[in-house]
Amino acid sequence: MNKVVIIDDEPQVRRLLSMVLKSRNYEVHEAEDGPSGLQHIAFLRPDAVLLDLGLPAMDGLSVLKRLREWSEVPVLILSVRDEEALKVEALEAGADDYVTKPFGTAELLARLAVIQRRCFTRQHPEITAGNLTLNLLHHEASLAGDRLKLTPTEFSLLHTLAEHAGRIVTFGQIIRRVWPAQLSDQSEALRVHISHLRRKLGTTGPQIINEPAIGYRLIDS
Amino acid sequence: MEPDAATRKESDSLALVAQYSGALAVVFSVATACRAILPQTGYLFSALMFLMAIVLAGTRWHRGPVILMAILSALTWNFVFLQPQFTFLIHNPGDLAVFALFFIVALSMGHLTSNLRQREDALERHHRERESLLAERHRANLLAESERLHRTLLDSVSHELKTPITIIRTALDGLASPNPYTAEITTATRRLQHIVDNFLGMTRVEADALRPNLNWEELHDVIRAATSPLEEEFRSRPLLISGLDSLPLLKLDSRLLAQALSNILHNAASYSPQGSSVEISASFLANSLEISVRDHGKGIPDGAENAVFDKFYRGPDVHAGGTGLGLAIARGLVRSMRGDISARNHPDGGACFTIRLPAQAAPLSP
Repeated sequence: MNKVVIIDDEPQVRRLLSMVLKSRNYEVHEAEDGPSGLQHIAFLRPDAVLLDLGLPAMDGLSVLKRLREWSEVPVLILSVRDEEALKVEALEAGADDYVTKPFGTAELLARLAVIQRRCFTRQHPEITAGNLTLNLLHHEASLAGDRLKLTPTEFSLLHTLAEHAGRIVTFGQIIRRVWPAQLSDQSEALRVHISHLRRKLGTTGPQIINEPAIGYRLIDS
Repeated sequence: MEPDAATRKESDSLALVAQYSGALAVVFSVATACRAILPQTGYLFSALMFLMAIVLAGTRWHRGPVILMAILSALTWNFVFLQPQFTFLIHNPGDLAVFALFFIVALSMGHLTSNLRQREDALERHHRERESLLAERHRANLLAESERLHRTLLDSVSHELKTPITIIRTALDGLASPNPYTAEITTATRRLQHIVDNFLGMTRVEADALRPNLNWEELHDVIRAATSPLEEEFRSRPLLISGLDSLPLLKLDSRLLAQALSNILHNAASYSPQGSSVEISASFLANSLEISVRDHGKGIPDGAENAVFDKFYRGPDVHAGGTGLGLAIARGLVRSMRGDISARNHPDGGACFTIRLPAQAAPLSP
């Protein structure tokens, strides 16, 4: 049974989320603030954490930063709208994804499932996302068995997104991965390559979804 | 040099000229007055009178005029009051000693008093500068504080309002049974959420809290972000999109533009019959992006083309559930990006809203 720790200061939100998750066979533990949440995580070693960004006293971002000093547990951020900068900060500080309040249960459960399916390990030479397969050994990509002609930059871009399939990857994270040595602003190049990639993936392959002001997400069509 | 500083310098030099002439005038008047009463007072009295005049002048005037006055006084005293009169000669050794002392005392007096005054001036100036600096800082602090307060208020209100809606939605999802009452609560919750979003949006627009964050974007992405929250509204209204493929990458704030577009689309869906299409078209010309949204509803009442963007404007035959804020917010958002928005009736029927936005096109285009 998967263990989840919920850190939210609203008792009703905690109660409801815990009901929803228990009905999906999760073992749920609740914490009302950052320090007790961190304690729960340290003792229980959960499989995932739901973390509200708007906590009193020690805010969600500080909790996350503290947590990432000693744990790699998948973290799903719960946030309200119009907090894009804060979401990006949380994602870059090591959060795995976010949902925006008010969110639907289906969305929450889907995100939670995706972040628990950890990144494909580096040792594994093949990544699949829907009908897309990336062979890292030969730098080859194929869509439903047909080989895709990609430039090295496109391959590296698709690799970054596919490695985190279903999860948001911030613009900054992509740029640092694909253009590690470039100091100049690569955001324009990123959009151009994404546009090319989308054309090559067509409508049958996984879709690259843009989340305004945050990043891209590769989803199975 | 700033005009202010130039005039100040000019008035300073005028004051200096006045002080020099004043010095001459005072020496002349003291000499005349003392000369008149010389038989009653003796020449030492006049020396003391000169010294007093120098001390007084030193408390108000610049160093230059005061030193000039000291020298002039010494010479005048020698010339007018010391024997032999009306010559600069001094025969009596006692008088010579007095004259030397007078000269030294007059110079030092002038020097000391004007020094003192300068120090006082500097102190006062320093004090004034400090005070204006403090006032400036205080004003800046107040401004920052009020902005911070405003934001905190918005954030906490938005948190307070959204939490119960989240709870209701999650609880409804949990019910899951096909119950007609549940469907009604779901619809009402959506409506409530729309109202809360609109009020918060309006507050943000009015608080001037929008800071456009420009990035290279594909308009496809903006339109997707604008339409995805409106799935329900466009389930029964086909959405026809044209003109996007020929667009370059554009530098714009996709979040603000998507929100503005979303509000216009929501309005189009609210005022057009089920089954009728809504058309979005876009073009880019001379650094200006134009996006039009056309519906097949009744159109805008005559003369209300501007009024539809007013806060709380409602059409004559309104549908229930609107706040009258959607278009006002859309206009606020577009204006924050230095663009504008207009409405007109399409010649073939239905309303047509057009957003015009200055935008930079990318040199490398896909």
